[in-house]
Formats: sequence, structure tokens, C-alpha cells
Amino acid sequence: MTEPEPEHSAGPLDGFRAIEYSETPAGAYCGRLLAGLGASVTIVESAPGTPLRRRGPFRADIPDSEAGASHLHLNRRKDSVRLELASAAGRRLLDHLLSEADILVCDVDRRRWDELDMDPVAIRKRHPELQVCAITPYGLEGPKSEWRAAELTLYAAGGYLRIGGEPDREPVKAWGDQGHYQAGLQAALGTVAALYADSGGQLIDTAMVEAVAFLLGGGYQHAWFSDREPVRNGARLVGFGPGHLYPSTIRPCRDGWVHSHCNNRYPEAMAVLFDEPQLAEPELLANLMGHADEVDDLMAPLLLATPRREVVRRAQELRIPFTEVLAPSEVLADADGHHASRDFWQSTPHPRGGDFLAPGPAVRFGRTKWIEGDAPRLGQHNERLGTPDQRVRWRRAGVA
Amino acid sequence: MLPEARLTPYPQPDCRPLDGIRVLDMTTAVAGPVATTLLGALGAEVLRIETPWAKPRNPASALPYRGTGPDEPWNREPRQNELGHSKRSLALNLTTKAGREIFLDLVERSDVVLENFSPRVMGNFGLEWDALRERNPEIIHVSMPAFGNSGPWRDRISYGPGIDAMSGMSWLTGYADGSPLKPGNFYCDQNAGLSAALSTIAALMARGRVGGQTVELAMLEGELQLIGDAMIGQQLSGREPTRIGNEHSSAAPHGVYPAGPLLSDPDSWIAIVCRTDDEWNGLVAVWCNETVARDRRFATGLRRWRHRVELDQLLADWTTGLDPIHLTERLQDAGVPASPVMGARALLRDEQVSARQSVGGLKHPQVGLSPAPQAAFRLSRTPAPPKNAAPLFAVDTIPVLEEILGYSKARISELLNSGAVSDRLVER
Repeated sequence: MTEPEPEHSAGPLDGFRAIEYSETPAGAYCGRLLAGLGASVTIVESAPGTPLRRRGPFRADIPDSEAGASHLHLNRRKDSVRLELASAAGRRLLDHLLSEADILVCDVDRRRWDELDMDPVAIRKRHPELQVCAITPYGLEGPKSEWRAAELTLYAAGGYLRIGGEPDREPVKAWGDQGHYQAGLQAALGTVAALYADSGGQLIDTAMVEAVAFLLGGGYQHAWFSDREPVRNGARLVGFGPGHLYPSTIRPCRDGWVHSHCNNRYPEAMAVLFDEPQLAEPELLANLMGHADEVDDLMAPLLLATPRREVVRRAQELRIPFTEVLAPSEVLADADGHHASRDFWQSTPHPRGGDFLAPGPAVRFGRTKWIEGDAPRLGQHNERLGTPDQRVRWRRAGVA
Repeated sequence: MLPEARLTPYPQPDCRPLDGIRVLDMTTAVAGPVATTLLGALGAEVLRIETPWAKPRNPASALPYRGTGPDEPWNREPRQNELGHSKRSLALNLTTKAGREIFLDLVERSDVVLENFSPRVMGNFGLEWDALRERNPEIIHVSMPAFGNSGPWRDRISYGPGIDAMSGMSWLTGYADGSPLKPGNFYCDQNAGLSAALSTIAALMARGRVGGQTVELAMLEGELQLIGDAMIGQQLSGREPTRIGNEHSSAAPHGVYPAGPLLSDPDSWIAIVCRTDDEWNGLVAVWCNETVARDRRFATGLRRWRHRVELDQLLADWTTGLDPIHLTERLQDAGVPASPVMGARALLRDEQVSARQSVGGLKHPQVGLSPAPQAAFRLSRTPAPPKNAAPLFAVDTIPVLEEILGYSKARISELLNSGAVSDRLVER
């Protein structure tokens, strides 16, 4: 009998304070993870607010700086302080906030460091106990440290774009801002490791392009030992020889697509699933990847005649790891009630009324919590700054 | 021209963030091993628990032998090199009573147990949370199930690419006129591995307050964080987001264009992005194409986006055959985000990778210097580069039993004879 766990309402990083100044999803996702883990995260925004606020989609396609999808996702459970860093007084206020914080997360373009007083090395000198997490496209040093980047060029520069897509077409990147999100995740890992090290303040110099290059994993083994580059392979796995297991691919079925994956332990189970003895032929099993087209053809008749859910149900019964390719609306509809049973999707109030569902915990702790919350209005937490008199003065002076 | 591929051995710092932490690594496939290589590089002593007969003796993928000691092909798998670094290796038969008891002895002397089995496996070994906690109330048990330790999909099986399908990531990824694609080979796994390493350290931070605890990282829920904006956007707009390839919802040009060969490889491309008028003006200056510069279709950002198909064609006509490295340098000098579409071969020859040692070398006794990327952050006081090449199979079995558990030579010999542990790969 399991003993009931005592109730703990705080996150594992409860008590740590972070200041975030971000212009891209990288800094924002880093802050989002720290906030979910229980740190108190304040975004510092100058008018008209962080660029994430200008990213859609919006309700009824009407731009709304309080209600864009990226802001509502990435800025959840953060506080917002509006400070005009163009003014010296605004920068002094930021410096005061930093003096009370444990962490700074900053992904601002290095060409604006001087203007905003955001040079990470200078900040470290002023605040030696602060963990300064600087996220830049290519890292703080090196011959390309001044290079510019966008999500697509990061994917290209990090080597991950090259393996995406069809072999006879141009490479294609993953949806969205995955390079930036991975940089944010790496930045959060480095920051929490620095906190744990307890060696005083550190500079956490995070390079976005390295977050992408990290994903290549085994690619460096092929490149170094055999000077080979894997070739794009459509929906199939990239860089494996003819002896590798197959399928791991996406195939059409009657009402959409399934991710077809062979059982690593009993590849012959595929013959049972498809009622197709040829799928258990020893010659085929010895070189599955080498016979990928043939395997696709052998799977096709049943797949094209059967709905996704049914294919997956039958495969999983045989312990073959097939899954459905779901569209976002289908993920949200949660036909099997899996997400509902785990309380995953969080009903969240929309700033203009009504609710929407936002992703719940990235991780679940037994005795501490992943903490949810709403995205802040621009400057919603300015009342935390100074005394009421000071606030009136700052507002008149256009500082805060 | 790029120089020869370079690999410098990683320097080994005196102190790392997780010095003094011990992790029992029971992971398989990709996601779990990524988490434990990261924790190892961050300084934890990672004890990889292997099944004594788990590996094929002659894997087809084995790298050529370049050592001085015994020739053991099972120690030269690229996948093992990639995912096994910064760890130690011991072989334990957990299906025996003695093997399970050794594991629990190790739990007493460890900080973290990390596994990515499907949810029923730890119970089958008799190593569920209560059994671990009984031996060490401070232990942190990290599990990385595909769908979660509860819910209707709990006992479904899937690898990372199958989760990409279930999260919506595959549906969203691909050409505008094509079918869903994977977001990369093992994207979901890499994300889960990094997230698990982060969550493990967070749980270590909280240990003084709450003691040991479970940490559950469902790969599906980890990946849904990465497309939260699509999920929320779908609800706000009422429209299903669609695959858009390399395009941007409002900026153009924003694509990948054919280029002259890179490292003699004709599969060569350059990525170019213009989000602002300044970036467009920079591109036009390098392009030196008066017709394009004067073309009213491209006079504003909105017009460029509306006419992006024609613009992409003109741009591709220009870039075809041009050296992607030289063109990138010219575009970057003009303030335009651009990059050759690099591959691992080009990255091993890249000056920025070299300057930051984004990919360094680890000396392996049977394959020589082996490449490993380091995490994307550099910590100024407690650096965390990869620590050691993947250990030879079961090389640490006896040292661990002696040094960590203090077992006598007689007892170790008895355990080796009984098959509860092994110091080598066993045939079965």
C-alpha cells in the first residue's frame, strides 16, 4: 500500500527570482520553464512590449498585444514590468531589479546591448552573484559571434535542416520555432545547473546554433569516422544502413496517416498485423531498411482500407508501436480521454473573455509541483516597483 | 574552402556543477541516454546498468578497430559512442535476487535513478518507487514514459518518432504540398532527454526541502510544450494550422535556395531570410540586380510576401552555382541572416564550432578519438564538457562493487560465478 504523499504546493525552484528580457522564443521558453519549475519570473518590457506579443494567431485575426498565441503560451506564470530602457532612469530601475534577483535571462540582439545596458559581461561585473544567462545566435565569442540569425538560418547552420525532407527536394525544417525552443531549454538546463553548483554567479553563454547542432547526435560519428553525410529520407529515419529495422515512417491510411514502426524485438509480428507472410521472409527481415519500398507496398493494402484508430489499436494489441498522426485539433479533442485523465490541458482565461486550453505540466513531481498561471498584461506588476510617489514620478517621466 | 575536419580533445575541468551526485542509469533507446550523458557531463557519476547479454557480439555498424587492447566489435557501435559518453558501465542481471539486491545497495548510495522503460517494467523487476524509497528516502526516481505513468495510453508502446505523430508535431511539419514528416530523426527523444536532465537537477535543488521524490517526464507532454503556440493558435483562430515548409507567415524571402557544391557535395543549399526592409536592402546590395531592386512587386515587406513564389524563383536562379560559404559571408556582412545548409561534415570543419569547441573529441580505447557535441551553454565557473568516451562494456562492474559497495573479493567472485553480475559481455 503506497503511503499518501504529503501535499507540497511549491515548485522545486520556489524562492528563486528571475528577470527575463527576451525578444525571441528562446529567452521566453527558458523563462517559461523556470516559471513552471516554481521560480518567480518577471519579464521586463519596453513599449510596445515584447515582440512575442505581436505574434499571432489572434482571436478573429484581430491583433491584440495581450492575446497572441505565443504570448499566451510562453509568458504564462510570469509577471510583467514595463520599463523604458531607452531612459537612464529606466535602466537604473532594471539594475535595481537585478540586484534583488538570482537569475537574468536575456536574448537581446548584441547590437542593442549598449543602448539597453544589457552587456552580459558588464552586468556580471555589477552583480557578481547573479546567474547571467545570455542567449545569442552563435555564442558570445568566436568569429561568427556577430552573425545574424533567424529560425530557418539557425536550422541550416546547426546541420539539422539538411536531414529534413525528401531526397529529391530542398531540405525542410520542422514546424515553428524549434531551434529557439531548444536554445531556451538548453539555457534553462545551464542556468539550473549553475544554481545547483552554488559557486557564485556564473555566465551561462548559450548559443542557439549549438542547441540545433546538439540534435544531430550520431551524425558526427558518421562524419568523423567515414566522412559520410546522411541523406534526407522523407518520413523515414535518416542515416541508417540497409540492415536497420524498418518501418519507422509515416504512411497514408484510409482517413489520414499513421506512424508505422516495426517491433524492435519481434519484427516478424508485422506479418501477423498485415496478414502478409512476405513481411516475415528471412531475406526481408535481414535487410529491412534496404527493402523499405517493398515493405511500404506490403503494408499499403491494409492501411488504405483501414482507419487510423483501428490500425493503431490492432498494432498496439500485438505490441507493435504504431501511432496515429494527429492534427492539432485532434490532439485537443482527445478522443481517448488520455490527456483528460491526466489533467493535462489547462483551461485558461482569455484576456478578452472566455477560455482556451493551454499545455499543462512538462514534468510531474511527486512532492513538488509544476506551477501553472496566466500570461501577464503589459506592465501588470509595475506596482511592485518603488513607493506610490516614486511610481507617479516615473510614470510622468515615461520611465515605468 | 573548408579546412580538414578537426577534433580537439575536451579539456577536463577540476569542478563541475553536479560533482558528488551519483545517478543509476537504466535507460534504453535515445531519450533516456541523452539525459544521462548530459548529467554525466555536468559532473554526476553515471553508472550505466547493462544487461550482461544485451548486445550483439558483431554489430554490422561497428567502427573499425583502432586500439591497442582486445578487439571487441560490440564496444565500437557508433550509437553507443554517441549516447554512452560521460558514464561508467556495469552489467547486472536484475532478474536475479542477488542482482536486484546489488541494485538496491547502489540505490542506498546514489542520488538519482533514471529510467525510460514503459511503466510496468520497474514493477516487474520489483523496483517500484516504494522499494527504492524504502532503501533511500532521499532518492529521486526519474521516469520517462512515452505517454505517461497513467491514463488510457499508459501501456501503449512508442518510440520518439511515434510521439511526434501523436503530439501534432509531424502533422505540422513538411512541405506545403506534401504529407506530414518527422521533425528530425529523434527530435522528441532529444527534447525529452534535455527536459529530464533539467527536471532532475530541479528535484535535486528541492531535496533539502522535501527529500526524495518521483519525477515523471512523459515524452508526449514534453513535446506538447514545443507547439503550445500552435495549439492555442488553433483555438483562437478556429483554423487548423497548416504545413508551410520553410515559409514564414509574413516575411519573404524566407527559404532555402540551391547553391554550388559544399565539400564536393552537390546537395548544397543556402538559407536566406529577410524580415525587415533593412535586411531586404542588404540582400539587394549583394545581389546587384537592378531589375529586382526596381521591381514594384518587391517594394514593401507585404508585397514581397505576396509575390514570394516569383521572388523565390529569381533568388534561386541567382544562388544556383554560387559558393554557399562565400555568399553567406557577403550576406552576413550586409546584415542579412543567411547560412549554408551545413551538415555534420561541414560542422567538423567550421571555424565557429572549432573556436567554441561545440563538438570535441573523447579518447576511446578501441576506436580512437570519437566526436561528441557538448551542450549549448558554457558555464564560466563550473564548465561541463563531455567527460569520457563511452565505457567498454561492463568495464566498471568490479570497481563499482569494490569501491562504492565495499564488497569483498570473495563475494564479488561468487556474484560473478552466479551470473548476477558480469565483467564482460555474456553469450546467451
